[in-house]
Amino acid sequence: MNIKAKLMAAAALAVFAVPVSSLADTADKRIALSNNYAGNSWRQAMLQSWATVGDKAVEDGVVAVADVFTTSENQATEQAAQIQNMILQGYDAIVVNAASPTALNGAVKEACDAGIVVVSFDGIVTEPCAWRIAVDFKEMGRQQVEYLASRLPDGGNLLEIRGLAGVFVDDEIHAGIEEGVKEFPKFKIVGSVHGDWAQDVAQKAVAGILPSLPEIAGVVTQGGDGYGAAQAIDAAGRDMPIIVMGNRQDEMKWWAEARDANGYETLSLSIAPGVGTLAFWVAQQVLDGADVPKDLTVPFLKVTQDSLDEALEATPEGSVANVEYSLDDAKGVIADAQ
Amino acid sequence: MAKSPLPAMLGIVTRPWFWAFAASALAFIATLYLSDGRGGGELLAAALTFASFSAIVGIGQMFVITLGPGNVDLSIPATMTLAGTLALKFMGGETGLIVPGLLLALAVGLGAGIFNYLLIRLLRIPPIIATLSASFLYQSLAIWWNRGLRIKPPEVLADFTTGALIGIPNLTVIGILIAVVSWVVLERSLFGRWISAFGQNTRAARLSGVPVEAVRAITYVSSAVLAAFTGYLLASFSGGAALNMGTEYLLISIAVVVIGGSSIAGGNSNVPGIWGGALLMFLVVSMLNSYGFGAGVRLIMTGTIIIAIVAAASGKGRSA
Repeated sequence: MNIKAKLMAAAALAVFAVPVSSLADTADKRIALSNNYAGNSWRQAMLQSWATVGDKAVEDGVVAVADVFTTSENQATEQAAQIQNMILQGYDAIVVNAASPTALNGAVKEACDAGIVVVSFDGIVTEPCAWRIAVDFKEMGRQQVEYLASRLPDGGNLLEIRGLAGVFVDDEIHAGIEEGVKEFPKFKIVGSVHGDWAQDVAQKAVAGILPSLPEIAGVVTQGGDGYGAAQAIDAAGRDMPIIVMGNRQDEMKWWAEARDANGYETLSLSIAPGVGTLAFWVAQQVLDGADVPKDLTVPFLKVTQDSLDEALEATPEGSVANVEYSLDDAKGVIADAQ
Repeated sequence: MAKSPLPAMLGIVTRPWFWAFAASALAFIATLYLSDGRGGGELLAAALTFASFSAIVGIGQMFVITLGPGNVDLSIPATMTLAGTLALKFMGGETGLIVPGLLLALAVGLGAGIFNYLLIRLLRIPPIIATLSASFLYQSLAIWWNRGLRIKPPEVLADFTTGALIGIPNLTVIGILIAVVSWVVLERSLFGRWISAFGQNTRAARLSGVPVEAVRAITYVSSAVLAAFTGYLLASFSGGAALNMGTEYLLISIAVVVIGGSSIAGGNSNVPGIWGGALLMFLVVSMLNSYGFGAGVRLIMTGTIIIAIVAAASGKGRSA
């Protein structure tokens, strides 16, 4: 009811503010989500947030449908075919989390040419006709080193846990971490492993490299790998370095337990899986005729020592810290970009 | 080489599993060289622990591959994920449910194995397609069941899987026990002869009275049960089941079979080699990580090393 009221107010405002272009009504518009992967807790939370917000929007009559389609194999070719099907099915907007920044451009262009609004998020596409809700992954890497510098003014040795080799998110975060190390040259990356954003893979990789490493002061991560690293370091009987976490519930729980036991302090940052709902509202705004810049940026969701308990309480067991975005949040992000 | 004065040594060198262990030892020494010998025990303990997972799924895969061309179980990762997810959710951290949870995981394996076999037998789908398509089903079931939430294992179980018995990781003890039993079954039992006969010539085996369909069914079921058991152990070891937990074990399970000296064409298997291959897969990656190679170089070198070992092992096999 609240959203409806806000919406009506917003619609009324829009009518008065931009009388010509914003008259379009989105009640009969059909939005589809094209998702390339569902096989981890972050993606599951993303799909759930979409369902929560999308179903509510349909119920409230904001849009006609908000369907979800996930490809089974995380392949760009498969997702391109999926987008082509969506074009044939006559959706008005396609929100896409892309398997590749470039390989879907052909299909995305076809959609644009058919008059369909395409909004990419998280895994963005470079095709100029699409909107991009990008995550500043580089900054995410840089801020980790910046935080470590604030905690360890004398610097020290770092272990870097990377994601899945060959994926652009991994390259971006890695580049940001290298930038951070350049900015704070007292730090040195003494080891780097690929944890594939999975706790068990990270655990295995860290256990393998640890014996040959000197003392580690900090661990920089990409999310979904901090708990595995902590377990491997613990099993090796080493002093626990500052591990930057990635908002997973098991990471935060481990952090809270370590804090209670010995005052462990760290930082956790990642992108809220609810970013999909931000993309949903942006698509709705574009359909509504709003003037939306093509490039938008999502804020990080940070958990600090002070907000740890609160974040932990709000996160379901085994899931990842999340926020669902509202229409007003989307308008805020759009306004920031203008 | 053939004129070696040490016949016993030569005997070992001509064993197909020799090269996997020799390469593992080299990788181990090369890693320690970097740290001036520090951390040897640590690295060995880690290698034994993580190789256990690869060894157990590898043994299951070996049974299947022994059946001959076209036989491979691609549903291992999904079976691991499904068993781990269901069992950990069922246990919900309760110590009293550890054994029922284990039985549930094994039942998942049993069900998956029977389902795989029925697809192959009744629908006459080639095993590669059957197990691959079944794996989508298992993965979807795992997603549907728990939406990727990581439920913690019971404390006692977590301690057991990460613990050690007089310095040897518990997982390694389990992995070696399974290897010994598999070795006895393959080398000393009638069933083992049947599997080899199936792989060497299915028609001849059938004509000589081998119950070939029963052999195939039991083989696929064993592979799935071992995968499910590994999923249960891995989820308990790493603090919860994740939807992507089994992914890397597809390639590993096949690689350890090949590196270990089993014939990829079937009919000839080698249990000790599985452990050699499993140790090697962990130690090579650790060595390349320790030397600071990037992902690209690491993958190329891992591939090259696998090819070199397979070539060395098969060359020796012919001359022997």
